[in-house]
Amino acid sequence: MSTAMTFGQKQFIPTPPEKGSFPLDHDGICKKSMVKYMNCIFSNNSNNSMCRNEAKDYLACRMEHNLMAKEDWTKLGFKEGEL
Amino acid sequence: MNRLLSINKCYLNTFRNNISRSSPVILLSKHVLPNVCVLRGTHEQKKIGSTLNYMIALGVMTVGLSYAAVPLYRIFCQAYSYGGTTGQAEADVSVSKMKAVKDRPLKIRFNADVASSMQWNFKPQQTDITVVPGETALAFYTARNPTDKSVIGISTYNVIPFEAGQYFNKIQCFCFEEQMLNPHEQVDMPVFFYIDPEFQEDPKMEYVDEIVLSYTFFEAKEGLKLPVPTYAR
Repeated sequence: MSTAMTFGQKQFIPTPPEKGSFPLDHDGICKKSMVKYMNCIFSNNSNNSMCRNEAKDYLACRMEHNLMAKEDWTKLGFKEGEL
Repeated sequence: MNRLLSINKCYLNTFRNNISRSSPVILLSKHVLPNVCVLRGTHEQKKIGSTLNYMIALGVMTVGLSYAAVPLYRIFCQAYSYGGTTGQAEADVSVSKMKAVKDRPLKIRFNADVASSMQWNFKPQQTDITVVPGETALAFYTARNPTDKSVIGISTYNVIPFEAGQYFNKIQCFCFEEQMLNPHEQVDMPVFFYIDPEFQEDPKMEYVDEIVLSYTFFEAKEGLKLPVPTYAR
């Protein structure tokens, strides 16, 4: 990607994620939540704003089964009032 | 650099030639006092000496500047987010305080790639998602290992357009760490991200309605290190 020929062109520099990497869900524990979320996305025409509840459920499943560090919902962008 | 050296040499040669050519003329004219000749010679020599010093100083300064330019440019890029450099990682505080900008829907397309030697089947679960800046979003990729042996993969990502990359913040994903897949195993990989609300304020982003997020998986071998620059951490 960054060869000599790309000098002068804008380069993209990737950054690591803020909270690191998700551990892999090898056993498919949270697969049900994932399927629900995907169904919501498909039925709502890929609109993320309508599926925040399902996303929250999926992340809750991950946190419960030690697949994600426990965080406050506000820190993950889920405000108290609307959900 | 070479040009500068040759200019220096040119100057030196010119001065040397001037001295050698003019000195017989000075010596020939007998009515000129010898003291005057000597003084004139030294004065010319001083001029030559000082010009030479200036030239050498210029050369050294150019070399020094070219070495200093690398960290200076890096600092400049980080400070002004030039060329797609993303800013420093933001604190949780900003995530909890940010407000969704409801009137600016953005379509995020997902792309998945695999290195040619990598045998995983890697694809996004959704082709696109509509988000608004300031709202966290979840997206899924699926990877399947169809081979009979465990394969360790490591991934990197890319955001197009480049200028939008500075607003694309990932809270958690599956990139930059080795992920192992057992034989014939399929796994869902989520990406949790948000677009910075400051996206709305950027005049360059006025006509940007689509952002493409592209992940590429490589096979992790012993001693393989992805080129993530240390200053970007």
